[in-house]
Amino acid sequence: MTFYQQEINRIKSTCYSNQGQIETVVGTRHYINNHFDKEMNLNLLSHIRFTSKFHLLRLFKKYYGLTPIQYLTDKRIEKAKEHLKQGMTVTETCFDVGFECPSSFSTLFRSRVGRSPIQFQKEQFSQSRGNDGFTTLKH
Amino acid sequence: MKVKIISLPVQDQEKALKFYTEKLGFIKKIDVPLSEGNRWLTVVSKEEQDGPEVLLEPSPIHFAPSKVYQKALFDAGIPYTQFNVEDVQQEYDRLLKLGVAFSIKPTAMGTVKIAVFNDTCGNNIQMVEML
Repeated sequence: MTFYQQEINRIKSTCYSNQGQIETVVGTRHYINNHFDKEMNLNLLSHIRFTSKFHLLRLFKKYYGLTPIQYLTDKRIEKAKEHLKQGMTVTETCFDVGFECPSSFSTLFRSRVGRSPIQFQKEQFSQSRGNDGFTTLKH
Repeated sequence: MKVKIISLPVQDQEKALKFYTEKLGFIKKIDVPLSEGNRWLTVVSKEEQDGPEVLLEPSPIHFAPSKVYQKALFDAGIPYTQFNVEDVQQEYDRLLKLGVAFSIKPTAMGTVKIAVFNDTCGNNIQMVEML
């Protein structure tokens, strides 16, 4: 058995021995993945997993390293990037991934991605035109 | 600052390019000839071609400490780096059919599932699926 295999076994027994907790956080993550476009908050998530919201918050952070709401935001931004790449408008994208206000969405998107949704979309289109052999205009 | 490249030491760049493109399914992105047959050689994920590039660098051939470090990691079974996949079991089955050797079969570990394979260029590489 290699050193790494020994370490895996050690970490499994010390960090991942509570199967019930693991099922709770994995189930929560799957629920977020499948319903990220709906209104969601900690109350709802804890209700679904039959646990208190503070307990769920602590467990999720313990196993995934971020809170359920941070994870939800990441998921929505990831999906928003996919929609923008496919040509969906910023407003449509905003509502489709579960945000309620286009201006807040744009601000959040800029803080996470480094550019606004419009700039991101323009960049994608100019890149894909470049890849297709068309001249790419850069300003 | 942005993360654009992760560096991976390989013992043979051409062999590595074949493994990473033909077996793993990456795509060659940059290939610039440098002196003495060396190349600035990067590959990217097919699904994320504007994502981070993996630089296949021939450091173990030219810098002895790199060779020593790579071998020590390999002998201990420690992955040099890891790549994310949607389904570890599916990728394991696919790669096994292509003759890839695994030191760790698909193993659930808390909130992830992992498997570790030999990239034939001196490294163990871990695949990880978030559960």
